[in-house]
Amino acid sequence: MTSHAPLDKNVHRDLRVRTDVGAALGDAVMATLTVPSEFRSVQGHFPILFRREPGQGDFMALALFGFENGENLMLDGDRWDARYRPWSLAIQPFLVGRPAGGEGPGQVHIDLDHPRIAQGGEGVRLFDEDGMATPFLDAIAERLGALDEGYRASGEFFAALRDHDLLEPFTLEVPLTDGSKHSLVGFHIIDEAKLAALGADTLGKLHAAGHLMPIFMALASLSQISALVERKNRRTRGG
Amino acid sequence: MNGMVGRVVIVGGGTAGWLSACSLAAARPDLSVTLIEAPDIPTIGVGEGTWPTMRATLASIGIGEAEFLAACDASFKQGSRFDGWVDGAPNDRYFHPFTSPPGMPAHALLAAWRDDASELPFAAAMTPQVHVCERDLAPRQRAMPDYQGAANYAYHLDAGKFAALLARHAVQRLGVNHLADHVVDVRADGQGGIAAVVTRENGEIAADLFLDCTGHAALLIGRHLDVEWIDRGDVLINDRALAAQVPVLRGSPIASQTVATAHAAGWIWDIGLPARRGIGCVYASRFMDDEAAETVLRSYIATALPDAPDVPIRKLSFPTGHRARFWQGNCVAVGLSAGFIEPLESSAIVLIELSLRALTENFPASRVAMPIHAGRFNALFRYRWDRVVEFLKLHYVLSRRDEPYWRAQRDPAHVPQGLADMLALWRDQPPSTWDFPQAEEIFSAESHQYILYGMGHPAPDGQAATERARAALAANGQRARTLAAALPTNRAYLDALLAEGGAGPAHMEGH
Repeated sequence: MTSHAPLDKNVHRDLRVRTDVGAALGDAVMATLTVPSEFRSVQGHFPILFRREPGQGDFMALALFGFENGENLMLDGDRWDARYRPWSLAIQPFLVGRPAGGEGPGQVHIDLDHPRIAQGGEGVRLFDEDGMATPFLDAIAERLGALDEGYRASGEFFAALRDHDLLEPFTLEVPLTDGSKHSLVGFHIIDEAKLAALGADTLGKLHAAGHLMPIFMALASLSQISALVERKNRRTRGG
Repeated sequence: MNGMVGRVVIVGGGTAGWLSACSLAAARPDLSVTLIEAPDIPTIGVGEGTWPTMRATLASIGIGEAEFLAACDASFKQGSRFDGWVDGAPNDRYFHPFTSPPGMPAHALLAAWRDDASELPFAAAMTPQVHVCERDLAPRQRAMPDYQGAANYAYHLDAGKFAALLARHAVQRLGVNHLADHVVDVRADGQGGIAAVVTRENGEIAADLFLDCTGHAALLIGRHLDVEWIDRGDVLINDRALAAQVPVLRGSPIASQTVATAHAAGWIWDIGLPARRGIGCVYASRFMDDEAAETVLRSYIATALPDAPDVPIRKLSFPTGHRARFWQGNCVAVGLSAGFIEPLESSAIVLIELSLRALTENFPASRVAMPIHAGRFNALFRYRWDRVVEFLKLHYVLSRRDEPYWRAQRDPAHVPQGLADMLALWRDQPPSTWDFPQAEEIFSAESHQYILYGMGHPAPDGQAATERARAALAANGQRARTLAAALPTNRAYLDALLAEGGAGPAHMEGH
């Protein structure tokens, strides 16, 4: 159950949000949404994979943290063991809300049933004693805006990938040091051969539309897979 | 006779004795450490404020922060606030926060303060910590690693519970031998030191090094070794204190700083713990009798805590001063046996910690090396006591209060020459490391700036603000808002901590 409400400085004047890290706070996830405008920040830390949501035609991009549901290899107890937290995680428990119909400017909404809603006076305030948005809320709003804008622009990005048939299915057999194997299925990655075969004219158009850089960033991010496998191995060895 | 130093005997428990035991045993597990403590002698609570050094001290002896906070009924201390010290007017107050001003030349900061932030008091312009203190906020979030904070901080604590925690830790985890016995005599070693102490039940206990933690009694350093006491009561004239513990209401705010409120012939301390406030009146018996002091104290309590029950008041008389030497032969005085000074800047516990750091990091391998260590230790701590005396005096000489006591405090005949010289220089330049050149000054140049400019001493003119200084002060303003949003109140933090541990402090119930 979720209970979304538009953020209101009168109603939520004393509300505090937890910014620490932990499985109980919703961080035990295998992957999180990312958007092409964020790929550049994400690629140095996590593999970026693409996936079609069941029942939906559109692709979405994900930053990968683990190899099975609920496994987040960046999560070390109450510590986030990476130097970056993707926007879609960092903005929780906030989300962008729109008036019915889905058009118009986005508003900051909050999920009041999220475990990050703090109890007992700990956590970060959203409004100060004068009712002004705190620097924390300002920063959240900025990230939410970037995520929303990136998400709305991603339709064009995926259309371009589809037009040029640049996605290929990707199955990863993760061999672990204890001899077992782990299969990751259902994901797509950039088809490097098809990308290499594109003519200058097409590349120029992709570049002009701002798609070329995220394509290469997604490609570059695949080098993070081995680091993720190494984390998995360390954890398997450690019991 | 000139053997290696392997056995240490600490005489006396309390904060000094048990902190010594923990520090030595943690730093040097190879030593045999024995603490002899007279049974059923109550310890004097040596003030209840620590310095930020306590965080590193606790970490080094292996006590977790949550365990410490819960066991000692402790709270966070982020500095001191001085009310009524300048002229006694209703809005007369200033802060001495633990967080230093931005790291750049003071004259540039002073100019930036004058140009951009003159509406703020000095401390509030220099660090966001004042904003945090004014809102009763904790310096850290519970999710942060132990002993780390968003601002520099120390603790207020129940000294009796602190000694008990240290004692348990020393005996159960650090292998310290605890002997509940009375020391009835001392055996000299024939070379100006101590061979053994004689106990009532356990006979002679020999050791290579002795720590005198017997408080004002100074059993070893004073009574046996007869090291001279240097009286500093001519400079710091307070000689009495009345102390009270006042229970507080459940859920009431806990202050982030020690509050020191000036009165006609001294000052009042106010230290907030989760379940009570320690409030006491320091005064000079030459200017105020005990009865008048009690009236001052009771009236403060009645104003600060109108719901408070009638509480007993304990009277203390104290000499101000210190030993001529703190290390004599093979005996080191730690705590009140070394010296005592009014708790205006909570220097008692930090002097214990500093003594133990100097000792453990320069531990004498053999008796041969001891005179060299002793000479250095004595010079260092004589320097530090002088600095403490002068720093405390600074709080008085800058006052413009008019009562006879305050005029006496400003009498030039009783201002140490070193302080008088610095005050002359500070007309032209701000306090700097040129004034405090030691690598580890007990009170930094920045602390002196907080007192000096907090009390309205004019900043030297003719300096220009640098862009860097202006940017740093602007960043402080933004950081203050960020911290105010991110930090819980002291009460919320400590209640959550105690709830997690399953035990809360005993409160006075609301009416």
